[in-house]
Amino acid sequence: MATDLNRRGFLAAGSAALAGIATRGWAAASGPFFVSAANDDTYRTFLLGLTAQGEELFRIPVPTRGHAATVHPHRAELVAFARRPGRYAMVIDASDGRVAATLPAHEGRHFYGHGAFTADGVYLLTTENDYDAPAGRIGVWDASDGYRRVDELPSGGIGPHEILRLGDGFVVANGGIQTHPAFERAKLNLPEMRPNLTYLHPDGRLDEIVEPPAGMRQNSIRHVAVTQAGDVAVAMQWFGNPLKPTPLVAMHHRGETLRYLDHPAMGRMMHFADSLALSGNGSEIGVTGPRGDHVLFFDAATGAPKGSADLELASGIAPFGSGLVISRAGGLSVGGSAGLAPAPVGADLVFDNHLVAVAPQA
Amino acid sequence: MRRLLSALCFFLAATVAGAEEAPGAGLDHAALRERSLAVLERQFGAFRDRTAELAAAAESHCDAGASRADVERAFRAAWLAWAPLDSYQFGPVERSAAALSVNFWPDKKNFVGRGLRALMAQPEDAQRLAGTVAEGSAAAQGFPALERLLYGDLPECPAIVGISAHLAMRADALYEDWFAADGWADVARAAGPENPVYLSQQEFTKTLFTALDFGLFRVSDQRLARPLGTWDRSFPTRAEAWRAGMTGDLIAAQLDGIALLLDEGFGPEIDDADRAHALQTIARAEELIERIGMPVDAAVKDPQPRLRVEAVQTAVRQLRAQLAEVIGPSLDVDTGFSPADGD
Repeated sequence: MATDLNRRGFLAAGSAALAGIATRGWAAASGPFFVSAANDDTYRTFLLGLTAQGEELFRIPVPTRGHAATVHPHRAELVAFARRPGRYAMVIDASDGRVAATLPAHEGRHFYGHGAFTADGVYLLTTENDYDAPAGRIGVWDASDGYRRVDELPSGGIGPHEILRLGDGFVVANGGIQTHPAFERAKLNLPEMRPNLTYLHPDGRLDEIVEPPAGMRQNSIRHVAVTQAGDVAVAMQWFGNPLKPTPLVAMHHRGETLRYLDHPAMGRMMHFADSLALSGNGSEIGVTGPRGDHVLFFDAATGAPKGSADLELASGIAPFGSGLVISRAGGLSVGGSAGLAPAPVGADLVFDNHLVAVAPQA
Repeated sequence: MRRLLSALCFFLAATVAGAEEAPGAGLDHAALRERSLAVLERQFGAFRDRTAELAAAAESHCDAGASRADVERAFRAAWLAWAPLDSYQFGPVERSAAALSVNFWPDKKNFVGRGLRALMAQPEDAQRLAGTVAEGSAAAQGFPALERLLYGDLPECPAIVGISAHLAMRADALYEDWFAADGWADVARAAGPENPVYLSQQEFTKTLFTALDFGLFRVSDQRLARPLGTWDRSFPTRAEAWRAGMTGDLIAAQLDGIALLLDEGFGPEIDDADRAHALQTIARAEELIERIGMPVDAAVKDPQPRLRVEAVQTAVRQLRAQLAEVIGPSLDVDTGFSPADGD
């Protein structure tokens, strides 16, 4: 693990292994802060920095609607991604909010909106669509050499969406849905879709591919979170019969099959579980439902349901303190299954689906 | 029919309850929906009927020596009947993955050619069966595959029998999935907080509005932009249906469908002057297509006719802008961004 202590550094919150590295961070931020793509009421698109109190730290204009972002493990840098079919990724110098570089989508590819760095911070991995093939790809960019594109790997399925670092390797949510920019965002293979959860070796090779049972193939595996035990929690979106009640959250332990979780409020999600995160103390998982205006909580160790809450346009979610912070209509909410406290954001904004934690250390 | 009516009564009752949540604006989303569904029913019905005629013509030609010209006429009529449906990539079209199966385009990697090769490697008795076609590549199931057989070097019989029979089955299923009892039309009628698809009446209006915009995007940014390429380099064979010389006619048919939905479906829910302006823009675009005077794939590489193709594209893009800036906001459909849109 490279640790250049002379550089300002930012840590992905919750990355305990890296805690304690001396960093100074964004001048305006005295504590952890959060990044979300957002749009204002005139449809202008931004990348926004927010404290958990809802205070706006910065606003970076982006050319089209943004989606998620990923934080460099030890450099004051983050990379924000356009929403699919994304044509750009933007490298942002987190010490001053400057756009350090814009990465265009590779020829014949578009971004899906997520990426992750290797543990040593040398490579950025991005989920991409080789839409004429069609095939899911992982783009590899050299962050130590101006984000030069150096390689491309199979994602293990169609429609790779979120990728997360897991130990030294990675876990990829392959949503299974074929799309092509000629059809904008239309889904082209719903009857035949085959989502999976794919684990990659540290060198990017396919390690393990976990497929759902036949009856769950129209449940698109889209977002992931890692528990303290190293299991992977999965959030899904159902594209089968709209009248069929379907679990939208699952847990996965390496070498086993997916374990679908029940929740009495599952029906409130309107078949759409969006992003999910582990609470700061690792005890629970929150799953947002912007279509159902609802949030589900689960016990992170057992997968047991742990209550739920109404929250209009609940979208991004990230660890904060011992609990969680959630973006929603009008601002943020902080807490967890025991209760949520509002933190309004002044401007009239709509947040995109992800809230990414950035943790500058004093 | 009785089943359909009782289903309707149930869903219409639900609609009345749902209507209370949309105060103000003076927009009648339920009326807009009913008029629009009537337009869609005609369009999906025409596609079903034209593909059935195509299947019959293909069989007569291959088995009874009827003229090839009859098959070509039926083929053109069926593809033109699909053109307006290309705008409706939601509901049954999306759920049955009809888009690529009916019209595999664009096809940069020659999946159509490869799919046809695989189909034609089958015994002739098998090629003529819809079931064989269903099990093969989606690229060999639709109009581009039939076009290769009818306007290329390959022998058309008996593969056109199997492909057109399969297409007719798909078209019939699409119609049923939309308009049979408890089909997608009824899902739209039951819009409301408990509806698993449309949480409000406005959501179905928004879906239709998005379909108009998508249809225009397909015309300007795909059907026209792909062959146009850049000034320095055009791509004639990237034009849809260039072998059959139908590129311009398919574009005009898609624009006709958009005009019909705007005029009869959205109708009075759009301000009269705005609607008239939009319809005039479409009429101008169709007139410009007419004036190209040659197939689009030939026009894009010749400077003067190319300008006319570009003028069509400009008119369609102007209409997109009018929809986004004027008509959308007037319809109370938030075309802005929401995390509820997915991803």
